[in-house]
Amino acid sequence: METSSTFDISMIFDLTSLSCHAQTGSLIHVIVCKGYFLKMKMKLPLLFTVVLYLSAAFADQETLVLVDNLNVRETHSQFFKSLQDRGYSLTYKLADDANLVLAKYGQYLYKNLIIFAPSVIEFGGQIDSEAITKFIDDGGNLLMAGNSVAGDVYREIASECGFEMDEESAAVIDHFNYDASDDGEHTRIVVSPKNMINSPTIVGSQNLQPLLFEGTGLILDKDNNLVLPILTADSTAYSYNPKSQVKEYPHAVGRKTVLIAALQARNNARIVFSGSLFFFSDEAFNSPISKVHGDKVKANKSGNKELAIHLSQWAFGERGRLRVRNVHHHRKGEKESSNTYTITDTVVYRIEIEELKNGKWQPFDANDVQLEFVRIDPFVRITLKKQPNGAYEAVFKVPDVWGVYQFKVDYDRVGYTRLYHSTQVSVRPLQHTQYERFIPSAYPYYVSAFSMMLGVFLFSFVFLYYKEDPPKTKSE
Amino acid sequence: MQASAVAPPGNGHNKGIFHNTAGFSTLITVTVLSLAWLAGFASRLFAVIRFESIIHEFDPWFNYRSTAYMVQHGFYNFLNWFDERAWYPLGRIVGGTVYPGLMITSGTIHWILHTLNIPIHIRDICVFLAPVFSGLTAIATYLLTSELWSRGAGLFAACFIAIIPGYSSRSVAGSYDNEGIAIFALQFTYYLWLKSVKSGSVFWSICTALSYFYMVSAWGGYVFIINLIPLHVFVLLIMGRFSQRVFVSYTVFYIVGLLLSMQIPFVGFQPIRTSEHMAASGVFALLMAIGALKYLHSLNPKGQWKQLLIVGGLLAAGVVFLAVVLLTYMGVIAPWSGRFYSLWDTAYAKIHIPIIASVSEHQPTTWSSFFFDLHVLVCTFPVGLWYCIKNINDERVFVALYALSAVYFAGVMVRLMLTLTPVVCVLSGIAFSILLDLVLREDELPAPPVETDESKNLYDKAGKLKKRTHEPVAPSDAGLGMNVRSGTLIAFMILLMLFSVHCTWATSNAYSSPSIVLASYGNDGSRRILDDFREAYGWLSQNTADDARIMSWWDYGYQIAGMGNRTTLVDNNTWNNSHIALVGKAMASNESAAYEIMSMLDVDYVLVIFGGAIGYSGDDINKFIWMVRIAEGEHPKDIHEADYFTERGEYRVDSEASKTMLNCLMYKLSYYRYDSGGSPPGYDRTRGALPGNRGFKLTYLEEAYTTEHWLVRIYRVKKPDEFNRPRLPLAKRSISTTNIMSKKLPVGNEQVTSKRRKGLLKNKPTVVKGKKVRLE
Repeated sequence: METSSTFDISMIFDLTSLSCHAQTGSLIHVIVCKGYFLKMKMKLPLLFTVVLYLSAAFADQETLVLVDNLNVRETHSQFFKSLQDRGYSLTYKLADDANLVLAKYGQYLYKNLIIFAPSVIEFGGQIDSEAITKFIDDGGNLLMAGNSVAGDVYREIASECGFEMDEESAAVIDHFNYDASDDGEHTRIVVSPKNMINSPTIVGSQNLQPLLFEGTGLILDKDNNLVLPILTADSTAYSYNPKSQVKEYPHAVGRKTVLIAALQARNNARIVFSGSLFFFSDEAFNSPISKVHGDKVKANKSGNKELAIHLSQWAFGERGRLRVRNVHHHRKGEKESSNTYTITDTVVYRIEIEELKNGKWQPFDANDVQLEFVRIDPFVRITLKKQPNGAYEAVFKVPDVWGVYQFKVDYDRVGYTRLYHSTQVSVRPLQHTQYERFIPSAYPYYVSAFSMMLGVFLFSFVFLYYKEDPPKTKSE
Repeated sequence: MQASAVAPPGNGHNKGIFHNTAGFSTLITVTVLSLAWLAGFASRLFAVIRFESIIHEFDPWFNYRSTAYMVQHGFYNFLNWFDERAWYPLGRIVGGTVYPGLMITSGTIHWILHTLNIPIHIRDICVFLAPVFSGLTAIATYLLTSELWSRGAGLFAACFIAIIPGYSSRSVAGSYDNEGIAIFALQFTYYLWLKSVKSGSVFWSICTALSYFYMVSAWGGYVFIINLIPLHVFVLLIMGRFSQRVFVSYTVFYIVGLLLSMQIPFVGFQPIRTSEHMAASGVFALLMAIGALKYLHSLNPKGQWKQLLIVGGLLAAGVVFLAVVLLTYMGVIAPWSGRFYSLWDTAYAKIHIPIIASVSEHQPTTWSSFFFDLHVLVCTFPVGLWYCIKNINDERVFVALYALSAVYFAGVMVRLMLTLTPVVCVLSGIAFSILLDLVLREDELPAPPVETDESKNLYDKAGKLKKRTHEPVAPSDAGLGMNVRSGTLIAFMILLMLFSVHCTWATSNAYSSPSIVLASYGNDGSRRILDDFREAYGWLSQNTADDARIMSWWDYGYQIAGMGNRTTLVDNNTWNNSHIALVGKAMASNESAAYEIMSMLDVDYVLVIFGGAIGYSGDDINKFIWMVRIAEGEHPKDIHEADYFTERGEYRVDSEASKTMLNCLMYKLSYYRYDSGGSPPGYDRTRGALPGNRGFKLTYLEEAYTTEHWLVRIYRVKKPDEFNRPRLPLAKRSISTTNIMSKKLPVGNEQVTSKRRKGLLKNKPTVVKGKKVRLE
């Protein structure tokens, strides 16, 4: 239904758009016909809703794969197949294709971008590293894999994301941890799963098989706390050109040699950057492992496939996404929410958090969500108590300091999208009617005041009815 | 207004024509006073006529805003108003930090008019309140002066105060500030005090206390009253003029006034807890002690009571003084606040509290401004003072003390010229009255017809007060000839005429600018209105989120809140020095350090005033050194004043300026993208220099709005998520790349060609026909 209707509409309205259709695949249909339906919606409200629904459902799954050689489709077929099985629609393009576009009419055609094209010097069409960084800044996800021949475009994109890729033709070399299938340069290395980042959300929970890696090392900026080292090399590794003698100190040595790095940008766009394209290949997925030196680890099958799939799931936002469903705060004992509290009120704050699991938003389960009550500095910081249905609740006393405060929940955990929610409320001092009317320490004053009143009352009688014999004259 | 200023001089005339006509004298008095009122009101309307009916300057905007709030929400809600839009994120309890007299006064007028079905907007009441009250001030001054001397002198004084620039500077239409009503309250309280000292009646003392209560509710200057009246009593004691009248009037006034003043939330317990008020209670205790001794004396009038009285009095004074010192030392009584120290030591504020010294109206007064504000009266008031001292009595002691202290304070601070002005008018009124008395008294011939009736009656009035013992005795002036008399008369008439001309001119030219609307005049005399301030505040109110937080220097806080209706960080109610210092620090730091402060304070927009394009000298760069000083006071580790000067200690903005100066936030925000201001483009006309740092880019802020004449510039502070990726800057990269960014620049003429350009792959496997190089 979708396709046919689109066809009709575009026939009616615009012949040039047909060429677009031909070039860029099915998503264009949806987008373009969305635009036309906006004009048509008086006539075809039903059709419009249907197509809008379809476009929303598929928006997250549209993926552009840039390769430098269409063979990659075959050599990495297992990886791509796992994506397709999960519902992604992949659009393969050569990286130098003259018609490459990421966005049309200000709208992105793809949500995810895979770049498996190490030998690219310059992208074709409208894509360049600036377009890619803009894509990231607008929320797109990126999975990028290179190898030792990768050019400067890779380096630029890596630097734009906060890490660096080693020089051209440099490769990670480890003379103690290479695989039996290595060709003598000791660049096909075996990496223990222990070197993986400790975050089940990103890498999955059961990665026990050793991993095969062949490619360049990455260097992380240590001041940069958004970048995650997903996989690091062993302490015996270094990154250098295997063909030349080591003359300079290598850029990456030992455990500082990062093999796969990831970044979750502040807008929750995710970037996974691997130094090895081989890592994702069928060959690496299938090959048995036998380490030549050291503990001589052997395995029938590498762990590459599990890790690669987990990484792609994380990178494309299938896992580790949180959102706030609802926030409510009120005075204890009341139901209604209020924007103004009085000092030393007891306040109930309730936040409902959801996590995306298997494509559905489900209650999030954690015990370390904290609430801060902030006025420049946090005055209150407490761990929220878990309630059923993903709700978290805190009951606390508002500090005895008035001002404009914010309820802040800032849940930032490795692997999860940053959950940040702030609500501004004002905390006001007591009103003039809210002060204590009778305080114990003031009783002497009350006594004196009332005794004075009584005294004056009595005195007035004395004054009125007491007769003095000689009328007293005022002195002076 | 000239008429009214000149009207009273016809005083002191022969009794021939209107004999014993009290009715006429009342008529004259009423006529002169209403003319004075009218003249005072009319001369304050220049701002409304030239511009519009608008609230002026800075503080009036807050007063107006809170008055409007009170009218809308009622008094109790006003009292409990917690303003979350001011002093973000601290907030401000308006009811407890404001002198509510002004708001209550205009609120009451509004209520009365609306009850009478006169639908007038509260803004118009606020605009015209001060001119209306100037008439009341004139009446109060008349009463005060006639209490002191004679009704003729009173009329003179009333006419003087109605138009004198020293007072109209604070009370033109639109200048909706506390002083506008407080001077009336001040004069009226003094009048009632003199009345009560004279009569010794509890009734007048209670009236004094009530009037004092109004003054306390209206202006912080009430401290002047509560120190001057005790001083008066103290001096009377020293002069041996203790009497039951003084005793009754002071004790009643003090107790009732104390209790009433403590009802104002802002004043609260201050009258019994701070040093500023201790003089009053000390004198009260002393008066009690002396009263007791006197009473003992009256029981047994014989014996050596006199010595006992003196010794006892001194002892009591010593005990009271020691008690106050001890209590201060123990911390029960707060020591003198910085503002009061700065009254005694003019350099104090400059060193210790830059925030006080930074305000232009807290600067010491120059000689010229004495003359500008008071004109000829500055020369004549010593004459009145001399006469008062010469013919001393209880009340004249008061006016002498009033004059001396006010002269001192006016010399310390420009602002306190305002308290000097009334006493100058009073004493000059007396001086002129005496002079005319002298010149016209024995004049056998009828005076010129214009002045006849007035002079006649005034003389009669003066005669009515004969019973007073200290009535000025007209010196024997038999020696004065006719020519001398008329010559003197004419000379003084001319002086008074010049005075009224000067008053009108000064009010019109110097004090009638709303300061939120500027006017400039072209060579042909045409007027150009620069309405940049309202343009910017209007932009803020229309284009920013309702809860947007605007950072600016504190001068503009009230205006942003009043006109833009947005949250401000600091404003003209400078109650929290460290918060202001934080804003000052942000302005004085470089961009990234400032960004930290700004994100800590959740700033959304930054507003700066930049006068370089039109040569407006009151802009932020000129105030900037005070921001640095205030910031240094709180953050001496981060901000150093010397960094902002050149090596030779000059404050400049051109290429000679220091690096810190050229890179601080205030500098950047002022000169960002600035290319106007004449030739060469980017020339700063206020400072007459070409900015030293130009063509820079802003990282953490972006320009949001700049007004027509570049006067107000608004910047938006970027949020952290706009720095999405932790980009590695080129300098930090350890691996060199060939080009910075393979950005595709359009090749050839048409962009289309570059869009459809083919990319490049290394070792592309299928290329057999030879590698195709770029098209160019």
